[in-house]
Amino acid sequence: MTKRLQFEPLMAIGLVIVIGSITMLLAGVNPFDGFSALLLGAFGGRSQIGETLVQTTALLFPALGICIAFRAGLFNIGAEGQLIMGGLFAGALGANLHAPAIIAIPAMLIAGIVGGGLWGAIAGWMKARYGASEVIATLMLNFVAGYVALALVNGPWKSPLASGAETAPLLPTAILPTLLSGTRLSIALLIAIALAVVLHVVLRKTVFGFDLRALGDAPEAARRSGVNITQLTVVALALSGACAGLGGATIVGGMLHRFNTALSPGYGFTAIAVALVGELQPFWICIAALGFGALESGGLAMQATAQVPKDAIHIIEGAIILVLAARRYIVTKRTANA
Amino acid sequence: MTFALLIGLLWLTLVKATPMIYAALGGTLSERSGVINIGLEGMMTAGAFSAAVASFYTGQPLIALAVGILGGALIGWLLGFVATRFKVDQIVAGMGLNILCLGAAAYGLMLLFNQPGASPQVASMGENYRWLVWLAPVLAVAMQWFLWSTPWGLRVRACGENPKAVAAAGLNPLAIRLMAVTCSGALAGLAGAFLAVGELNLYSDGMTAGRGFIALAAIIFGRWTPIGAFAACLLFGFLQALQIELQGHITWLPTDLFEALPYVAALIALVGATGRNKAPAADGVPY
Repeated sequence: MTKRLQFEPLMAIGLVIVIGSITMLLAGVNPFDGFSALLLGAFGGRSQIGETLVQTTALLFPALGICIAFRAGLFNIGAEGQLIMGGLFAGALGANLHAPAIIAIPAMLIAGIVGGGLWGAIAGWMKARYGASEVIATLMLNFVAGYVALALVNGPWKSPLASGAETAPLLPTAILPTLLSGTRLSIALLIAIALAVVLHVVLRKTVFGFDLRALGDAPEAARRSGVNITQLTVVALALSGACAGLGGATIVGGMLHRFNTALSPGYGFTAIAVALVGELQPFWICIAALGFGALESGGLAMQATAQVPKDAIHIIEGAIILVLAARRYIVTKRTANA
Repeated sequence: MTFALLIGLLWLTLVKATPMIYAALGGTLSERSGVINIGLEGMMTAGAFSAAVASFYTGQPLIALAVGILGGALIGWLLGFVATRFKVDQIVAGMGLNILCLGAAAYGLMLLFNQPGASPQVASMGENYRWLVWLAPVLAVAMQWFLWSTPWGLRVRACGENPKAVAAAGLNPLAIRLMAVTCSGALAGLAGAFLAVGELNLYSDGMTAGRGFIALAAIIFGRWTPIGAFAACLLFGFLQALQIELQGHITWLPTDLFEALPYVAALIALVGATGRNKAPAADGVPY
């Protein structure tokens, strides 16, 4: 259970400054120049802001999914694979469903939810039925998802027109409407924010949300009060995967307009940092996603104009996760089988 | 299948299993002391990268090997430090280290060689990498002996079962855990160095390809014993070898799915380990 008044966002900002400065100094760059390049790249104009919000959206979906799982005491490290499966399902449907946008878009998003949800549910089923560690199951499923997607886009689902490994482009009716003209920002941002609001309400105001948190905070108490832990474990991981899968669908529908295996540069892993910095609360996760989205989009600009390798961003992310792990959100009194 | 082909397949199995064995032995040691080491993958990355860099600058594969071990040990120490000093959530911390190491290696490539993706070719061990392949089973037996037949082995295992009892006996369980996790990182570093200057002759992004994670599954499948983990790694190594040998010969299954085989096998092994889970009682529980 998370408490009020926390310092995660402040600690994260501190780490960004400290680790960021170190990596910039190592690259022989004045941190002042480096950070101004980063900030200009993230917020310097209309197109920069648009791209920052695009990255924010892409991180927000898997981060909300991770929030569900972590709240239930389940370590879903498989958001990356769930995102890929969601994108794959959405891309396959969106390229083939001849229907008006009012049907095609929701159908494509649902396909993403189903793809990600199924992938999460596999880990949940393995955990609930066989007691398999969800940590390792979700990690393995990331790799399996990658290879399954590769096999499909190299094989039966390969676009006849494309040279690379990708599906045929989406039909125009399946493409998400643009939110900010001239950028890749689509209505996916609004869907993500709506999802955060729904999740906030579900966690706080519903019996299901209460059970979910009980499973994470006091599994024994939850079991004794009649919660069906087996079922809830599967449902929690399926929902967690569904959020990531929906994210994959919006990346396909709003950014790429087709599925390819380079769909995600690690959004599913960065999202762990987003969820932790956001204190596993949907509202703060939205704020954290904006911060990390700015890092992602500004990182490229920083590399181009200040010659600081953009991978410095991942060093920062890793350090943030490492430090925030010390805050122990997740109850460690678990069955020790990981 | 001819005899020569069979020998070839068996050797390839050993070679493919070797890095996973080192990582899994490290993970077994760490978990026996009560610290779950999800960071094995990152420690392998650190070992592979630092070994490649050392080999690039010295041209001495043996020095590279030592530097790789040190690189892994450093990250292992870091996990041990935060796990014992700050009582962190070990899984989250390990995942953070994985991301950090991958990012740092990619960053290092840009900084040192100014090229993304992979390092230039470096001096490798050549045929001498065979010694490391044969060392793996020896080390597995040695660790089994250490953990179950020596006083220090007993102390390590006691830290994983009941750290309070260790403290009551006048020893410091936190110090023992820190030592075990550092050694675990050193072994993972050796696994990474084996990839970078043994099997291959460079570092490339993502070259560990989840071997550190498969090693975690091997630990569970091997019931937290060095010999068991060794056997499990052989199984996963065999599947990788099979995939390489059969690639192109089997047309009904796409190559990409073939490559997923070891990961699927690890999933099945996780399910297969049901009911006989003998995890150390205090595994993953901060003291």
